[in-house]
Parts: sequence; structure tokens; C-alpha cells
Amino acid sequence: MKVRVEGLEFSYGAFSLRVPGLAFAEGRLTALVGPNGAGKSTFLKCLASVIPPGRGTVFVDGRDVAGLPGRERARLVGYVPQEPASTFNYSVLDFVLTGRAAFIPVFSSPARRDDEAAREALRFVGLEDFGPRPVFALSSGERRLALIARTLAQQSAVLLLDEPTTFLDPRHETEVMELVKRLAVERGKTVVVSLHALDMALKFADDMVFMKGGAVVAAGRPDDILDEALLRSVYDIPMGLRNVDGTRIVVR
Amino acid sequence: MSGRRDKRTTALSVLAVVLPLALSLVALNVGAYRIPPQAVFTTVAEAVFPGGDGSGPSPYADILFRVRLPRLLLALFAGAALAVSGASLQALFRNPLVFEFSLGISNGAAFGAALSLVFLGRGFPPQPAAFVFALLAVLLVVAIAGRSASQVVTILLAGVIVSALFQALLSLVEVFANPYALQSLVFWLMGSLGQATWKDLAVTLPVIGAGVTVLILMRWRLNVLSLGEEEARSLGLDTTRDKIAVIALAALVTAAATAVMGVVSWVGLIVPHLVRMAVGADNRKVVPLSAGYGAALLLLADTIARGAAPFEIPVGILTSVVGIPFFIVLLKKSGRIWL
Amino acid sequence: MNPARTARTAALLAWIALAVLRFPAPVGAAGQVPAPTTVVDSLNRSVSVPGKIGRIISLEPEITRIIVALGAGDRLVGIDYFLKHHDHLFPLVFPEGLKLPLVSNQAQDLSLEEAVRLRPDVVFASPSEFRMAESIERKLAVPVVALASMGRFAGLIGEIETLGRILGREERAAELVAFFQERLRALDRSASPDPPGERPSVYLAFWNSLVRTPVSYEPVDAAGGRNAASGVLPEYLGAAGATISIETLIAWDPEVILVQGNYPPEERRVSVGTVLRDPRLASLRAVRSGRVHYTFGFWYWWDPALVLVETVYLSGLLRPGAPAGPGLVATGDAIFKEFYGVEGAFSALCRILDCHEWTAR
Repeated sequence: MKVRVEGLEFSYGAFSLRVPGLAFAEGRLTALVGPNGAGKSTFLKCLASVIPPGRGTVFVDGRDVAGLPGRERARLVGYVPQEPASTFNYSVLDFVLTGRAAFIPVFSSPARRDDEAAREALRFVGLEDFGPRPVFALSSGERRLALIARTLAQQSAVLLLDEPTTFLDPRHETEVMELVKRLAVERGKTVVVSLHALDMALKFADDMVFMKGGAVVAAGRPDDILDEALLRSVYDIPMGLRNVDGTRIVVR
Repeated sequence: MSGRRDKRTTALSVLAVVLPLALSLVALNVGAYRIPPQAVFTTVAEAVFPGGDGSGPSPYADILFRVRLPRLLLALFAGAALAVSGASLQALFRNPLVFEFSLGISNGAAFGAALSLVFLGRGFPPQPAAFVFALLAVLLVVAIAGRSASQVVTILLAGVIVSALFQALLSLVEVFANPYALQSLVFWLMGSLGQATWKDLAVTLPVIGAGVTVLILMRWRLNVLSLGEEEARSLGLDTTRDKIAVIALAALVTAAATAVMGVVSWVGLIVPHLVRMAVGADNRKVVPLSAGYGAALLLLADTIARGAAPFEIPVGILTSVVGIPFFIVLLKKSGRIWL
Repeated sequence: MNPARTARTAALLAWIALAVLRFPAPVGAAGQVPAPTTVVDSLNRSVSVPGKIGRIISLEPEITRIIVALGAGDRLVGIDYFLKHHDHLFPLVFPEGLKLPLVSNQAQDLSLEEAVRLRPDVVFASPSEFRMAESIERKLAVPVVALASMGRFAGLIGEIETLGRILGREERAAELVAFFQERLRALDRSASPDPPGERPSVYLAFWNSLVRTPVSYEPVDAAGGRNAASGVLPEYLGAAGATISIETLIAWDPEVILVQGNYPPEERRVSVGTVLRDPRLASLRAVRSGRVHYTFGFWYWWDPALVLVETVYLSGLLRPGAPAGPGLVATGDAIFKEFYGVEGAFSALCRILDCHEWTAR
């Protein structure tokens, strides 16, 4: 499903985010990049309606998400936070099951189809044997995957991931990005990922959005928009683009 | 390994039903007035299947059905109420050290009930006032704790402050109460199930029954709510509405129990914690099992409180004696183990 | 002679005369200041009090009542909270006491500022708070004597005698003690001897509660009854209240139930009526035979006159075979007259407490 942003504004203290217009296509992976404090997390949270924007509208499949009840919105948009905050040591399966909240009425418990959705999500991320294990026993890479599985269990058409590769080693970084790419390609989901690692973005993203200081500096296909001048203006340090074996990489 | 855990869960679930029933049988037989077990059985049988010789008011029937039974039922219901409310609040506030007492609910309810008893007299049920002030207490705690409501220390501190506030207000009520009302008030505050009559229970038991049932129905929701405000919202919940519902229900059942028996604490802390240690954190299991074991615990404590000596030991003292060391141990471990 | 020196001497003599006249010397002391007395109080403390006591603060109603009975009420410089606001008897026997400044709060704790302002020579306190006597003594540098009867006549008599000695009213104290003991002996004489096994068991429901009862209450024993709750708590706690369970009460199955009645009917949560109608108590002997009555009981310990009247009343209740004498009201008035020198105090009290019905004999 297509995601379209119109006139989005959000202020918090001295910081203000302004995105007059932006669109994300389905079946494509969009990388949201930019320096610290650019507003990437905030933007994602606004897209997910985790925080209500001060102004503006987010349309998913033509519908204004702000106007939808939480249940319906959650079936459209899934949000993977940076750090899962869990006080309680649930089993991985129970943890992923919570992703089914939008499908389970307040006085009910998960039914078989919820259980199956959760297991299917675990299978997709490669954690199918991890069901009974307690979450605290997972490595940080595995915990990230469990988090993604939880959002997958939501079966939403749009997936927003906030820095899913931070603190992961290269192998796990790649695993996660491949996973996320598969979601866009195989499942046709609209996937937006905020990233620090430009390399990952360059390797996997179909589209890129550069943000700085709460504004969108450039958006589009990497081939179309990426050049050294852009990089320098966004990151404030000289950066170079090189072509190595047909892949573009960034050097400093 | 998971097979073993499942077996253990099943066994504990069965025990959660059997234990309160077994303790009820014991409690029916315990008391200053000696009733041989046989007589207990026949008296109960005659009541359930009437048609005996109708021998007039027997002291056995009076004791069993007017003295022991109401007290027993109150212990079961109140114990379940405190344990379930504790478990729910712990999930909601994402803090295993939260329970009705550390959130100021107990003292708020006590203040409300005292206010009602002293100024509206004994004819007026104290539960509504207890409920209003229990809610007020939680609101105050949340307001004081502010944004850092998820931090262990902050919310406990806020709870201590609010508890102290209502304790002080309670003292103020004692100041304005005449000595005659004061006598019964002070005694009630110590926590005793012995004062409850069927008339009191006519309000208390249905309220607790309904509240606990709803909280048990919401048990899976608590899993989601325990992920925190942002995540729960992103998963599609109306967190404001759900939070208010859980807090209101927890306050309601606690207030209903406190209004009749005074302040009895620590059940809401001990029971859910022990249950989590045994079956894990999934609230689908924790909440209903807490109800059963909470009922059993309070019934056990009360049976000891009235059976151990000819004079009454306030049951709140018994639960404190067990609960406070337990709380200290938990506090010390709280950095390392989150259940 | 030098006129200035004459004037000065005259002034000095006048000043001395005035000083002496302001503090009349006690009988027999002939102008000398009496030596300090040492007393041992209820907490077993040895306290040295001045030989001349002119200004008294008493925090304990029982002690205040005895002081008034001893005729030393004019030496009180303050009054405690309970007597000022909640006692129905005190205004009848010592109305001027109500005008005294308040020296304690609702919890009967002494207000230190008031105490300092009023400059007492001695402070009387309750022995039930161990540290309090010491702490007041330390802060005020005034001797504090802790006294209470603890529900025993011997204690009450000892209190009267000790206070008599401290206040220089030994004769009056001896009078009261003799009167008290004679009345008790008269009760004994008029009763037919009943072997201990036949003394009726009596349960006292005091302090506005069905389950709170004094463990030791001598008027019941003196009147020929047996306190059902004796032995529940250790004896040294005296008339301290024990809290029992309803079931214990039912198990005891007392022959007589006495409900405390010396406070206004509208404040009563537990009354004779509620006991008789309580479905849980339906099987009790006392309820079935209608032997549920009011008695006076106590708040903040005894009034010496009232407890004597109570014993007479209970004697009539528990030993119905006793020969009829003057009615209780007449006896009560006579006892109050002896202690406090006022007429009709007991009748007045009965009107307030609505106790004519239950004291009618």
C-alpha cells in the first residue's frame, strides 16, 4: 500500500520536523538516512502514529491514519522500535504474540490463527525454534529479529523500522537487511527503514530519503539523487563515492 | 524442557483451585467453638439439602453460616482481589514492585472509608467513598511520578508520598472523630476480617467478583500493555482507555475489600511474584493463578489470626511480617532480575 | 529614725506579708514550707514532689476526678481534652473545671507550651505510655507522677491515698477510702454467700464494640460475677482491652452480657438492642434469657464515685436475691454527694445517658 505524507509538522522543544510532501511506494524498501538529530526517529513515529503530529496528514492507501481507530491503523502500519523495552521475561512466542493485539478484542485471548501468525512470523525471521525461550536469554541480534517477527505478526502492509541494524555485528546487520528486503520484494510490503550505515542503505534500498535538521533534503532513487555534494551537505564532512565491483560505496 | 514447564503449569493451575477449596474446608473446622468435623459435615449437608428434622436454631448452624462462612468468603474474595489487582498493576506500570499498597491505593481507600464511617455513620456503606479516594490516590501517584513513571524508584517514591499523605489525612479524621467512633476506627484500621457481616458482604462480594472477573478477562491485554505506552499504541491499543480501565478496576476491588476489612497489605506483592517465578510472566497464567493463590494465602493468614489465640491477631500484621522482608529481598534483587 | 529606711522596711514587711498571705500555709505547718515528699508511682518510679502543691496539671481524667473529690480542684490550672469535650459527668461535679485552659490534644498528649505557661508544680500522667512521663519531666523540669487504677479497687484506693499525701489532703483521702470500703463490705454482707462455681459468667462489651472487652474488671467480681474474659491476656495488663472474635464470645456462652452505656445513645454502635437482635448470637444463654444489660464502664479509667455506683448496680443485677434497699438513683446521688459534695449528680447523669430504664429497680 502506498504511504503519502502531506504537510507534516511536529515540534518538540527547540526541534521541529517539517515534511511538506513525501510518498513511499509499495513493494519497495526506502532507506531514511541522515545525521543524528535529523529527525528520522521522530518522523517514523509520526508515520506510525506513535506520536501524534502537530500538523499534517499521513495517508495509507488513501486513508487518513489519524482518523482510524487504533486497531485498524495497526493492521495497516507496523512499527519496529529501536529498543524493545521489556520489563518482563516473556517467552519469545508470547512476545511475538503481542503483535496480534489489533486482532484480539479486549476480553479475549489469542486464538489458533493468532498462534499460527506468530509462528509464521518466527519462521520468516529464522527463529522458529525459539518459541519457548525467554526473551532475556536472546542475544541482541536475536532480539532484533524477534522484534521484527512481532511486527510481522501484525500482518500490516506497511512496515516502519527504526534503526534495526544499530549495535549489530556485520553478519547480523546483513541478515536483518536481507530479511527486510525480502518483506518488500516477496510480500509486497511498503518498508521504510531508518539507517545510520550508508553502506547498508546503498546496498539494499530501492529509494532513499536524506534528512537533516528536521527537513527532507533529498528523496528518490539512489542512482538519481546520490552524489558527493549531497553527502557533504547532509553530513557536513567530505565524503567520496566509489564504484567497487559494480557496487557503490561511501568513503570518508 | 518446555514439556516440563507445561506440566508444572498444569499442576499449579489445578492447585490454584484445589488449595482454596481445601483451606476452606479447614477454615470451616477451625474456631474457638469446638465443632466436631462430623457435625460440620451434617450441618452443611442439612443446609444444602434441607429436609431434616428442623430442630430449631442450632449453635452449629449459627457458627458455621453466620460467623465462619462470611469470614471465609471475605478472605477468599479479598485475597483474590488483592493478588489480581497487584498482578495487573505490576503489568501496567511495568514494575514488579508495584501493588495496591505502594501505589497509595490502600491508604486512600482506608481514608475514604474512615471519612464515610465517621461522618456518614455506619448505616451508609463505606465502599463508594473508599473507591473514590483509592482512585484519587493513583491519580496523584501518576501525576507526581510524571514522565518517568516507568522507573522503579520514582513511582515507588510517589507511592510513598501519597500513602503518607492519606495516612496524615486519616490522622486528621481521627482528630475530629469523637472517642466513640474513634475506638472502632482505630481497631478497623489494623486490618481484621472479623468485623464483616453478611450485610457488608452483600455489597463487597459482588463488586469484587465482577472486578476480578473483568481483570481476568483482560489478562492477555496486560501482556501488551506491559510493553509500554509507545509500543502498545503502535500495536493498535487505545492505551489511555485500557490503562484507565485497569487502574479503575484494581482500585475498585482493593477499595471494596479495604472498606470492610481495613488495611491488609503485601498479598498483592507476594502472590503475583511467586506465581511468576513458577510459571513465567505470561499474564494469561499469572492473573488467574494469582487469584487462586491470593485467596488461599489470605484465608490461611486469617485462619491463623483467629485460631491461634483466644484474642484476635490483626491479620494485617501477619501479612506484614511475611511481606516486608519479602519486599526488601525483592528490592535488593530488582536490578538484576526482572520477572 | 531615718524616714526613708522606715518606709523601706515597711514596704519590705508589707511585701513579705503579702507573699505569705498569697500562699496560705497548710494546716499544722505554721508558716513553715513542708519538706518534699517521695512517692512511688504506677510505673515504679520514685518521684520527689514539692511539699506544697499549688498548681496541678493532670492529663489523666481518673486522677483529675480524684483530685476534685479530695477537695483540691481549685489547684488545677488546666484541663485535659477528654474531660473538657467528651465527659458527661465532669461538668456535673466540677463545672468550673471546664473554664480551665486546655492542656492536651485529642490524643491526650500534653501541650508543652501551655504547660510552660501555666507553671505547674506537678504533672499527673497516665502510665500507659512509658516514655511520656520521663519525657515530660525532662522537658519541663517538673515532677511527673504516673498513676492509674488499672481496673482494680486496690489500685484506685492506692491512688486516692497517694494523691492525698501529695496534696496534703490525707484526712479527706482517708475519709473517701473508708467510705468506699464500707460500701463494698455492705454489698458483701447483704449478699447471700455464693460458691465461686455458681457465680454467673459475665461478658463485658466495652468501648463501642462487641469484641473488645476488659480482661480484668473488679466491679464485676465484687458484684458476684465472673469475668468471662479473664485470662485472655496476662493479668499485669489489668483492665486493658483484649480483642476477641465473635466465635470466642459464642464459645464462652456467658450468662450475662453487659454493654457499656455511659455515652450518648445516638453514638452507640453496640446496644442492648443490637445484641439481642444479632442473628449470630441467637443461641447464647444471655440472649435467650434476656440477660443483656447496660452498665457504665469507663473511658480513660474510672470515676471513683461512678465505679462504686456501678458496683452497687451490678450487685443488684447479678445477685437478684439481695434485699431491697433505697433505689439505685437515691444510692447513686448519696455516693456522689459524699465524693463531690453536689446534689442529684447521679440523677442528672442518668437523664443524659438515658439510663433510668436500666437502672430502675
